[in-house]
Amino acid sequence: MSIHTPPPELSRRSLLRGIALAGGLAAFGGTLTACSSPTGAGGAGGAAGGTLTLALNRSLVSLDNKLNQFDAAVTVQRAVRQALTRIDEKLTPQLVLAEKFELTAPTQWTVKLRDNLAYSDGTPVKIDDVVTALTMYQQVNGSFLASFFPEWPKVVPVDDKTFTLETESPFPTLDYVMANILITPAGANQPQELQDGVGSGPYVVTAANRGTGEYTLKRNPKYWGIAAKIDTIEVRFMPEESSRVVALRSGQVDVIDSVSPDAVKQLAGLSDIKVETVDGTRLNQLFYNFRKPRSHPLANPQVRQALSHAINGPALIDNVLGGVVTAAAGPVPLTLAGAVKTGEYVYDPTKAKQMLDSLGVKNLEVKIIWESGEFANDASVMEAVAQMLGDVGVKATLQQFEPGGDILKWRQGRAGDWDILGNGFPSPTGLASTMMQGMYAGTAAKEATRDTYHGYVYPAITDLVVKAQSEVDRTARDKLLADAQKAIWDTWPCLWAFVPKAVTARRSQVEGIALTPANNYDVLNVRLGA
Amino acid sequence: MSTDTATSTSSATAALAADRPSMVTAKQLSRATATRQRRSAHAKMWIGATCALLVILPVALANVLPLPGPDQQQLTARLLPPLTGGHLLGTDQLGRDLLSRILHGGQVSLTVGVLAVVVSGIIGIVAGSAAGFLGGWVDSAVSRLLEAQLSLPLLMMLLLVVALFGSSIPVITFVIAVAQWPEVARLTRSLVLVEREKPYVAAARVLGLHRIAILVRHVLPNVIKRATVVVLLLLAQAVLLESALSYLGAGPQRPFATWGRIISDGQDFVTTSWWLVTMPGLVIAILVVGVNLFGDGLRDRVRRRKGSDT
Amino acid sequence: MFRYLARRITQSALTVFLTVSGVFFLIRLAPGDPAAALSSPVATAAELDRVRAQFGLDKPLINQYWIFIKHLFTGDLGTSFSFQSSALDVVLSRLPYTITLAVTSILLTTVIAVPLGVWMARNADTAREFGANVVTIAAQSMPDFWSGIMLLTIFAVLIPVLPAAGFAGWDGLVLPTVTVAILQIALISRMVRRDMVANLNAPYLVVARARGLSNGALTWRYAMRNSAIPVLTALGTRFAAMLNGVVVVEVVFGWPGVGSLVVRALETRDYPLITATVLVTAALAVLVQLLVDLAYPLLDPRVRLGKGATS
Repeated sequence: MSIHTPPPELSRRSLLRGIALAGGLAAFGGTLTACSSPTGAGGAGGAAGGTLTLALNRSLVSLDNKLNQFDAAVTVQRAVRQALTRIDEKLTPQLVLAEKFELTAPTQWTVKLRDNLAYSDGTPVKIDDVVTALTMYQQVNGSFLASFFPEWPKVVPVDDKTFTLETESPFPTLDYVMANILITPAGANQPQELQDGVGSGPYVVTAANRGTGEYTLKRNPKYWGIAAKIDTIEVRFMPEESSRVVALRSGQVDVIDSVSPDAVKQLAGLSDIKVETVDGTRLNQLFYNFRKPRSHPLANPQVRQALSHAINGPALIDNVLGGVVTAAAGPVPLTLAGAVKTGEYVYDPTKAKQMLDSLGVKNLEVKIIWESGEFANDASVMEAVAQMLGDVGVKATLQQFEPGGDILKWRQGRAGDWDILGNGFPSPTGLASTMMQGMYAGTAAKEATRDTYHGYVYPAITDLVVKAQSEVDRTARDKLLADAQKAIWDTWPCLWAFVPKAVTARRSQVEGIALTPANNYDVLNVRLGA
Repeated sequence: MSTDTATSTSSATAALAADRPSMVTAKQLSRATATRQRRSAHAKMWIGATCALLVILPVALANVLPLPGPDQQQLTARLLPPLTGGHLLGTDQLGRDLLSRILHGGQVSLTVGVLAVVVSGIIGIVAGSAAGFLGGWVDSAVSRLLEAQLSLPLLMMLLLVVALFGSSIPVITFVIAVAQWPEVARLTRSLVLVEREKPYVAAARVLGLHRIAILVRHVLPNVIKRATVVVLLLLAQAVLLESALSYLGAGPQRPFATWGRIISDGQDFVTTSWWLVTMPGLVIAILVVGVNLFGDGLRDRVRRRKGSDT
Repeated sequence: MFRYLARRITQSALTVFLTVSGVFFLIRLAPGDPAAALSSPVATAAELDRVRAQFGLDKPLINQYWIFIKHLFTGDLGTSFSFQSSALDVVLSRLPYTITLAVTSILLTTVIAVPLGVWMARNADTAREFGANVVTIAAQSMPDFWSGIMLLTIFAVLIPVLPAAGFAGWDGLVLPTVTVAILQIALISRMVRRDMVANLNAPYLVVARARGLSNGALTWRYAMRNSAIPVLTALGTRFAAMLNGVVVVEVVFGWPGVGSLVVRALETRDYPLITATVLVTAALAVLVQLLVDLAYPLLDPRVRLGKGATS
């Protein structure tokens, strides 16, 4: 009797082997196809081959701006699609597709398109495309851009290159706001965000993955103007600030935008990284609830002012906000056209206590609400503010809302009571009047549907803002706006407010980023140095 | 054939060995698998208990320890590294004492963990024993539910529920409990299935006891011990899950510190202030290692006593 | 066999369907408003109403559900609010990344955990094994987001050899894979050890040992074959769990997979996208589970599918 191991069941074993092999191959094949779909191997280090890699902190859903109007998206959108004008780094309008954009009568602007304009597919840019673009932007639901237009201008063609933009009442700032209307061939435009299609910009899209927010742009060989300097632009989406910082440090990406104050500190002093800041156009506020009953202490402007004296602005700016913000000195950022300085927030806790005492306010409790991500370091700012209010005897409770949560209902006063809202208000037009219209020009009719800015209704101020918007004379307009701003400041609408700087950080070989206060830049002039 | 008792270490075992008509020496005994297993179970329990208490005691005593308040800010003393300015673990981005925040945050995390485990233990034991003992439609309903939950995107669903219903402590506790009950239920069910066939159950039935009474008075006491060991191990999971949820932003309202939130807040400073992420993570790890080791040791012991059925 | 398969598939489909239906109602009953999340900060109530009407959110819940069901059977999961394109397409464009991460992680896990588990079983109850035991328990006890950040700090900041985030090449896969695998290795190796110890002490192995077989043959050809089923089950379950459970790691490493997508979809209350994500991941997980079960009889001829429940 020989000792032997029983022979294994051959058929089953070979079957098993076959399955294992097939499984392995499938897995490998799966990974291969999975990974070849994005930008391919490498791609790091933009210096060679003329590739610039940008990492955005929000996902770029499309290269159209009908709904997506966030800062860095504008940079990429404008590389592909252009408007008649653009707002430059000094916040003044510059001509792009238009050769001429002039106010020819109080209610009429005359525009002439450039001669040699062409889309990337070779077709010419026509007046018809402008007509269609204006119609489409009007029809988009929930668009922020639409709110910049008190009324939509009508296009009246003069010849095949010239047309007029006609309005019912004067629209003296039309050259500013038309910078937001991107022009697309009429046949391809729709009243929603365009996913593809051609534009007249210096770049064309060669690969796009909306799901992951990754895009590859190549230089447009048929660009009508002076060609862009960089061959390829890779757009990446990196939601975590810490990963963007690490990726920039290691050279995985070349430029990151909207850099947070903490990240600025981490990048400062690195030899191969340059950080650029410019005063921004956004106003981040701790806005009071103006829907409080008259008997409530916060309905009294003096109480609102007293609380402001408890806020140690300089400490917040230096320690929490990394020095990359400036305290607001008026109801809108001073960078905006038409903004004036109306006062300052002064830290004086003794005065705060005295004022509260003399006003007979005792044991005041306030609830501060905000949505996380509303501005950089929002949570830290709120926690610090709560402590500062506590130091003058005001008990502050915090309620943070996750994005997508119910904060809208709260803001409208339909879900719960609150006293102070942490909120940011952008101003992509660069105009003080746009922001004042959005925040401070409430009316009783709007308040009926809770459409005012947190109950802020002062008819006298609204009158001034409305008048200013249709005032053609620049000096008279600025005078009206200045009066309105002073009146707003006296109502003491904010516990504290600050203007964040627009910040980009880049590898030092990237040159020519002229960052605008609206936190975008023209990629046309960006180049790669040695 | 050894009768030399001189070499043995303990006199008690020596005496035993001498009295016993056996060739097995104390030395051999001490090398035997059973002994080694017992020793390793002991070691695990000791190390585990030490690690766990190292975290739990300070957390429990956080309010009486001489520490600055967890929300007490000092903007001039921001981001101090450990062992400076009287802060053992340094300070965070608002100049708050990190140690104090970790300990007070631990109170939230541990409370949620313990509550969640108690709830999931109760649900699991009730559902599992009912399924195992009653059989029939109860069993198939519970089993289906168990299967279904196993194949679901769990963390995704938890995030969904927390994001949708707000991140209060009760919601988070409930969500973790729901995530964890299957493990307890499955074990309880299989244990009860075994017990059900034992003679004492038949005897009780003959005596005319109600089914529920048999289950509660006679069967459950026999399985509860092993089920509770699993529940203890789940505490470790619950703490991890809670920290993951609050890392992803689904934690109790500010200014409550929780471990996950301290880490996610600190992540923004990872290149300059390493301690903000490292320290709270270490504390979580030490606690969870402790609970896991202790539970593991306990399970080894209970399993050996009950015989070697899985 | 055929009837078993049919029953299993029906059951799985039912599970997925009930889950998706549950999610459908859950997200719509919960607070939050997709119209508000998508619209401008100055949108008026009237504008928000128009946005809601555009998405069909103004209809009664039960009507919305009925429309959803009708579309579901034509393979249409609706249009993502925030991406403005087919929700299914958005999920599928991200799925390869999650599958890639799950596959590499499970491969790494298998390659390390199985030999480690076997080694632990063969050295059962020794000081060496005790040490390995403690190490695996420690690995199992670290929060994965924390170990991820630690790895990132070490290998992308202190010694910048690997990319920190996103997918820009194969090296971007290393850190997320290792992070996912740490926990899985701990779980699987301990499981392998437990099962192998039982098998190594089984009577048939004593007989085989008596016949003078080498230790290697004993372990791999005898004990391992009997442990194959539980090990494969465990690996399959872990793999299925990874397909929908790597949310945290995806967030830490900015991995463009399905997990980080769902976090985003929640933030914008993108109902169709949430439903599509849950549907796809649940279906995938159920499918993997089914494949694992179907592999049983191949590994163990004693198992006949459908006869006798393996509870």
